[in-house]
Amino acid sequence: MEVRLWTTTDVSDWLTEEGMQEYSDALGNMDGPALLHLSEEDFKAPPLSLVTGDGGRQLLDRIETLRFTSHMKSHKSNNHENSHHTNGHAGIMLANGSVSNGKILNGGNKNGYHSEPVRILIPLPSEQERTPFPTEWFKTGVAFLYALCCFVTTTVVISVVHERVPPKEESPPLPDKFFDLFDRVQWAFSICEINGMLLVGLWFAQWCLLKHRSIIGRRFFFIVGTLYLYRCVTMYVTTLPVPGMHFKCSPKLFGDWEAQSRRVMKMMAGGGLSITGSHSLCGDYLYSGHTVMLTLTYLFIKEYSPRRFWCYHWFCWFLSAVGILCILLAHDHYTIDVVVAYFITTRLFWWYHTMANQQALKENSASNLLSHVWWFGLFRYFESNVRGIVPRNFQLPFLWQTLTTIRVKYSKLDCHES
Amino acid sequence: MAASQLLDEQDERENDTYHVMVMVEDRTHPQTTPKGRTHPSVNTLRNAHIDDKSNVSKPQRFARGFRKALRKNQDYISIPVSKPNASQLPSEWWKTGITFIWAGFNLVLTTVMITIVHERVPDKSVSPPLPDKFFDYVPRVAWVFSVTEVNGMILVALWFIHWLFLKHRAIVGRRFFFLQGMLYLYRMVTMYITTLPVPSIHMNCAPKLYDDSHGKIKRIWQLVSGGGLSITGSHMMCGDFLYSGHTVMLTLTFLFIQEYSPSTLLWRCYHVICWLLSAVGVVCILIAHEHYSLDVVVAYFITSRLFYWYHTMTNNQALGSSNNYLNRTWWNPAFNFLEKNVKTTVPCTFSCPVSLPAAFKNTCKSYSKVQSTRDA
Repeated sequence: MEVRLWTTTDVSDWLTEEGMQEYSDALGNMDGPALLHLSEEDFKAPPLSLVTGDGGRQLLDRIETLRFTSHMKSHKSNNHENSHHTNGHAGIMLANGSVSNGKILNGGNKNGYHSEPVRILIPLPSEQERTPFPTEWFKTGVAFLYALCCFVTTTVVISVVHERVPPKEESPPLPDKFFDLFDRVQWAFSICEINGMLLVGLWFAQWCLLKHRSIIGRRFFFIVGTLYLYRCVTMYVTTLPVPGMHFKCSPKLFGDWEAQSRRVMKMMAGGGLSITGSHSLCGDYLYSGHTVMLTLTYLFIKEYSPRRFWCYHWFCWFLSAVGILCILLAHDHYTIDVVVAYFITTRLFWWYHTMANQQALKENSASNLLSHVWWFGLFRYFESNVRGIVPRNFQLPFLWQTLTTIRVKYSKLDCHES
Repeated sequence: MAASQLLDEQDERENDTYHVMVMVEDRTHPQTTPKGRTHPSVNTLRNAHIDDKSNVSKPQRFARGFRKALRKNQDYISIPVSKPNASQLPSEWWKTGITFIWAGFNLVLTTVMITIVHERVPDKSVSPPLPDKFFDYVPRVAWVFSVTEVNGMILVALWFIHWLFLKHRAIVGRRFFFLQGMLYLYRMVTMYITTLPVPSIHMNCAPKLYDDSHGKIKRIWQLVSGGGLSITGSHMMCGDFLYSGHTVMLTLTFLFIQEYSPSTLLWRCYHVICWLLSAVGVVCILIAHEHYSLDVVVAYFITSRLFYWYHTMTNNQALGSSNNYLNRTWWNPAFNFLEKNVKTTVPCTFSCPVSLPAAFKNTCKSYSKVQSTRDA
């Protein structure tokens, strides 16, 4: 119990416990607070001067201990920020350690130190300082918007370029080595699109299970957006003719903006796939968007899944490779489109991840030539608070935790949202 | 040096207010740190301070005295910066020779490929020039292509002279030849797999020699000896459109000139001039309707990316292999072979058998000016 709440009985009990019964009469009508306020002067006057043998030093020592102990106990539950008692606390503990030699400082001006309270405000560290992989969903939202803008721009550009594609009769398909060697296989393109949809589905499911999905999602959206942006440029500057006579391009709508925008909407809704019937526009050949998606989803799946899932990786690689081959077999893209798409996708993916995984490469220095790309500022915005390599940890999304019937056997599964 | 630095830190700390908070000082009990009984927030502050105060003992006083003496008797402290010694940047001319052969081989192979592709270019009447955005806006100006080629020749000559004066010309030369060889190799692939039609009606392609191998070999020789330039009259074959070799040379020489030269004001003016030469040359290719815009864009992209990629790998040898995706390219073994013994960034020092004027003796770091006057 706190000393301040002691009654006279408690005081005399305490005196007896401490072996100082001689004071119990003199201090008989003192309660807790009065006891705490005892000082040396009181021992110089009667009645205490008659009873004390050492000028009250021993008693004062004990009272000091009592005072600090009770003081500490009362502040034990307080916030650490309330640290103007730091001085006193430090004093207590030392005093406790050395109580026997009697060197107690009363918090007075010993050794010329000040005893006024110093307030230290220790702010709780923000999320980005507490963890090396802060979630920052806002940045993921920005990346998503960027990717969306790039997709919309691509669709608009395809619609514009469609008007400029020379007709098959005027400009026959260009000579292509692959087409010379292999004849067209009609149903191959649907295989490519099915593979593409499978890979995207697998990647989406894997992404949902990842622990650091905001960071990884951000990276995916940024890279996809940039690749489609580059594609806009290459499609627009020079228009290649259709790769095969089998192509049926929709008729051109010269200047009919309303119809063109409707066409754009239809294409976006179908995702640009011919399975959904939205791939009727021509001219988007260099470079191949299908190859980009197949390659990129495979790279991401492999990067953010455990190393020991080699079977899964090989399966995804197989899907990706067969899909790309089928594009060429179906004579739906020139070989150059596929080669350039593969090259640009892999280089951008490796470039981004090398910069993201090395702290030294996140700064714009003379020896870091990777920072000379135009998107370096955007990259820094996304990855500045990510410290270290994002681990491949898995975690059930929030909604699934309520399903208790699912038993998952992953060893890395982290069931608590942190 | 390290000691004086440490002392300065101690001095600064004494002026801090943080030591004011904890006033208890108990020197007679060395074990005055009952860690188990303190609040964590108190513990660190107090322990730090106690360590500070309990260190105010003999070594500290000695160090302070030493520092004061040092301050009285010295003018400045020279900090030796570790210079790259010769063993870190070995010449290894034989490797440069290998890359020279590689570049030469690729150039010849490119010429052979152009000859092959020439046979497959569709005729102008069959396949008209493709729609190109730049061509829609800018009509053709005939003489502009010679501007490109003149600029290209100037840049190559400038780079050659520059290279001659570099100290580590074996290493730099190796890099130039390797990158050039790679770019021409990629160009061979893109030229071959899909053949673009001629960009403009004005282009007069030499007639096709269907099976005349003798004639083809003569053409190859003519192209190689003329360097592929139309000024020398060797640029009469068509089909080598994607991507543009002229853009590659213009961009690559500029990037190398910029990378391996100091960054003082005078040199920066030189960089700007070279950049202008390069940019004007590239734009003139398009104005002359000699290449599609796509060819130029792709060439610029591939050249600059490959250059940055390679040089980042060389400048950051400590990247390691586990989280370094830059080494996943197919040419990584070749890179390791060439750059294995180059341990640091190549400094852009100049040297020459004959003595040079002082302007070239500077290294690229601007603080070296202080050192050079003191050394002299």
